[in-house]
Amino acid sequence: MSRDILVWVEQFEREAPAASWEAVGVARQIADEGGGGVIACVLGGDGLADLAEEAVAYGADRVLWAADPTLADFRVEPYTTVLQQLVREHEPGTILMAATFRGREIGPALAVRLETGCVADCTELHFQNGELMATRPIYAGKLLSRCVIPERRPQVFTTRVRAFPKPEPDVSRQGEIAELLPSVTEDEIAVKVTGFKDTAGGVSLADAGVIVSGGRGVAGPDGYEPLRELAQLLNGAVGASRAAVDAGWIPYEHQVGQTGKTVSPDLYIACGISGAIQHLAGMRTSTVIVAVNKDPEAPIFKIADYGIVADLFDAVPALRDALKEKLE
Amino acid sequence: MDFGWTDEQRLWRRAVRDFAQNEIAPRVREIDEEEFIPREIVKGMADMGLLAPTVGEEYGGAGADWMMATIAAEELGRADISLAVPVMYLVEAAWGFIFYQYGSSALKEQYLPRVTSGEAFLGIATTEPGGGSDILGACRTRAQRDDGHWVLNGEKVYISGVRESLDWGGIHLLLTRTDFDEAAGHRAFTFFALPLKGTDGIAPTYFDDMGRMGISTGGFALDEVRLPLEHQVGDLNRGFYHAMEGFSAARTLIGATCVGASETALAMGMDQIKLRQAFGRPIASFEGIQFPLADLYTDLEGVRLSTYKAAWMMDRMYQDGEATHHDIALAAAMAKLKAPRLGFSIMNEVADWHGAMAYTKECPIEMGIRGIRSYSIGAEGTPNVMRMIIARELLGKDFLPTLYTEKS
Amino acid sequence: MHIVVCTKYTPDSEAKMSVDEEGNISWGDSPLIINPWDEYSVEEALRLRDEHGGTVTVLSMGPDVALEALKHAVAMGADEAVRVWDEACAGSDTLATSYVLAKAVEKMGDVDLVLCGKSAIDAQTWQTGVALATRLGWPSLMYAINLVELDREQRSITVERLLEEGRQVVEAPLPAVLGTTKGINEPRYTSFIGIRKAAQMEYPLWTLEDIGADREKVGPQGSGVRWPEVFEPPAREAEAEIIEAETIEEEARILVDRILAEKVI
Repeated sequence: MSRDILVWVEQFEREAPAASWEAVGVARQIADEGGGGVIACVLGGDGLADLAEEAVAYGADRVLWAADPTLADFRVEPYTTVLQQLVREHEPGTILMAATFRGREIGPALAVRLETGCVADCTELHFQNGELMATRPIYAGKLLSRCVIPERRPQVFTTRVRAFPKPEPDVSRQGEIAELLPSVTEDEIAVKVTGFKDTAGGVSLADAGVIVSGGRGVAGPDGYEPLRELAQLLNGAVGASRAAVDAGWIPYEHQVGQTGKTVSPDLYIACGISGAIQHLAGMRTSTVIVAVNKDPEAPIFKIADYGIVADLFDAVPALRDALKEKLE
Repeated sequence: MDFGWTDEQRLWRRAVRDFAQNEIAPRVREIDEEEFIPREIVKGMADMGLLAPTVGEEYGGAGADWMMATIAAEELGRADISLAVPVMYLVEAAWGFIFYQYGSSALKEQYLPRVTSGEAFLGIATTEPGGGSDILGACRTRAQRDDGHWVLNGEKVYISGVRESLDWGGIHLLLTRTDFDEAAGHRAFTFFALPLKGTDGIAPTYFDDMGRMGISTGGFALDEVRLPLEHQVGDLNRGFYHAMEGFSAARTLIGATCVGASETALAMGMDQIKLRQAFGRPIASFEGIQFPLADLYTDLEGVRLSTYKAAWMMDRMYQDGEATHHDIALAAAMAKLKAPRLGFSIMNEVADWHGAMAYTKECPIEMGIRGIRSYSIGAEGTPNVMRMIIARELLGKDFLPTLYTEKS
Repeated sequence: MHIVVCTKYTPDSEAKMSVDEEGNISWGDSPLIINPWDEYSVEEALRLRDEHGGTVTVLSMGPDVALEALKHAVAMGADEAVRVWDEACAGSDTLATSYVLAKAVEKMGDVDLVLCGKSAIDAQTWQTGVALATRLGWPSLMYAINLVELDREQRSITVERLLEEGRQVVEAPLPAVLGTTKGINEPRYTSFIGIRKAAQMEYPLWTLEDIGADREKVGPQGSGVRWPEVFEPPAREAEAEIIEAETIEEEARILVDRILAEKVI
């Protein structure tokens, strides 16, 4: 095994999510500190050349890309097989990927095939006594755990979305780009993709730099309208508390919290959310938290940086207007 | 002596708490304002086996013992301090059991599956304009045989679930006088299963309650109401004794549901006194707050234990024959005497801790105060009647006040 | 249809977690419950059984307290429950756990579908379902939010699974491993009669020998990951600055200034 770090850069419609570049950034840092090169891998149906160059700009030394009809849609079997092939050929000591839906599935699948360990959702990764030591949240972030893979190689880590900075791309960086011939054929793959439904509705929660979230205080499905307007203005996403999702006001995809998504945007605006411990667990790592609530005793104010005690239907439109004014 | 719970009891408490806290607790204000219990809550209770749970499985019940029924009563009280859902629950659990014990198979077949599935209501109708707890003196509704029917005349008032029964269907267990000889004493009353919906000669009326708004209180006059003979429940002229059995059950469940509501109030109060500041410190740090809390908590724990002991004795009686009707009457009367009054005191105290907010509808405590007052006034027996029962069991029948009333 | 649901016990999601000086994790007086994500799997399994017939078996690897999860599943309506445990399994990571679960599923022999929750709310590894599928060599269908169809004749299953960008519709042959997520159904509450069954049922314990597992492949020696330290995160220090002004418009303007000064937008 080498000291090289293999990073799988995922893509959708030939675009990689910021989370993958964050993982490349982590790999670059580890390589700079511990030696070895960063090998990025891009898999898809076709047209991956631009993405390969982008990977170099974000910090990869080598990029291996494979374009094949079997890889056109994300599927665990062929993706894992190709990554396993890469591991055989290049023997990286460490494998990184983003802890997205895809990464959370590929990481463990690859680890089992390689009979090695996988540490999921790392929020910190650093060397300690020559070993990579990961920090990851457990119990919805109420506790943190340090994890290490002491013996088996390669070792697999998935990096929590937005836990690491996205590196600045450097277009002058030089790297080696090579095409890889995948060793899979369609008849070996059991799972078939038969369709795709776009339900995320704009910016996805995990990626969003700004989240405007509504809880019981929005009082109904229509109550989300002012929140959507504010989110749109900030190029952000709309989140929700469990109470609002359970009431059927907004689909589950929007739920933030212990039983929903864990997010850490730069700005989290909680509107009409009292701040149940389960909700706080899902957004406490946001950089700046703003709370709008009628109840000055609401627990959300205990965790917020700024608060306005008011009805959200008065405060949110006022906030939108004030922002428009400033941004113009 | 064992104060632990069995696995079944522990899992059941968790299940009811889970359901009640998720599905009922967030809607208590809505139930209080809209003045009815949403159908999906009733349906959810049916799915869990919470409607007339003491009825056997052959009629869609759960075959619950009294310990399990009492656990559910406490948890429902904990979730709904307005006590509307608990009233519906406990009336059906207690009187559904009496109907299950003494009703004819055909009648049970007709009504119980619909009660346990939440499609029909089962209530109790004993109180009359002349009074409630003193059945001998107050029960004037008459039932007389005529041509293969029972013919009923009279009036019942302050009856829970009149609107529910008229809307959904179902029955009220109606206590009537069937022996008109004064010498018959307590052996003069008989129960009937009375469907309010679709029965000729019923004139309903409603009362605007001060609390537990989610379940209706009403009454009805009976004018030449004709019921088939099979609608008689239990033995002829044994209705008083069947009623006493049902009262003991209902009083135990009332004890538990008042304990549950009191626990919620006290928990709210404790949150409040830890947060609320006066003179630069949390008010929880003042002895004037701490000592009443300690006293109320201690009293509550005592009432809780005596309530569960009543449930335990009921199971001893029904399952093993190790306790008598006297034992359970005494145990249930003590629970019923203490729990509602203590609950009312707790809610009053907790209201004080909340300050002015407690006097507004922003704070749920006012629903609790309005609701629990119902049980410290009467409903399945007044406090003074509870005291009479307790004294009767202590002193014996020779000192019954009624004996001296009759003599004088 | 023989459907297996993998489940585990966790502290209640409302538990206040802490770590003592020796590094032991405590959840105070919070109850241990079935992992909430697993309830969706149990519910989906019960619905499939009711539609297609067959048996639902719940499977858990864990010490005695793991019975909490199994009892809850049986109280919901599962037919059978199996617990696998040996002291040697303590300290297993997902590599080792998926090995044990796969061995148990293989021992059952006739399994058509395995369901797992998307993750467990305690260790939150998101790994067991896909790791188990990989062990078994079966298709992995994680983060399923809608079960479109299970075709018993064709022995295939179609689900919508979550990706960041939307829902991917995938079809796979049986047997397969399905990972459920909230939204796929509304799990039922346990019922009185279910609880009585759960309290009275016998829960067989399978040892490593029973499932033919290699002791070298379980516990720390069978695991890739070690977790030398667990600790409480530093408390968030912020005490909200409550913005107060004459009008809501003025408050909004002050707030916008504050946000802009933070340079987060």
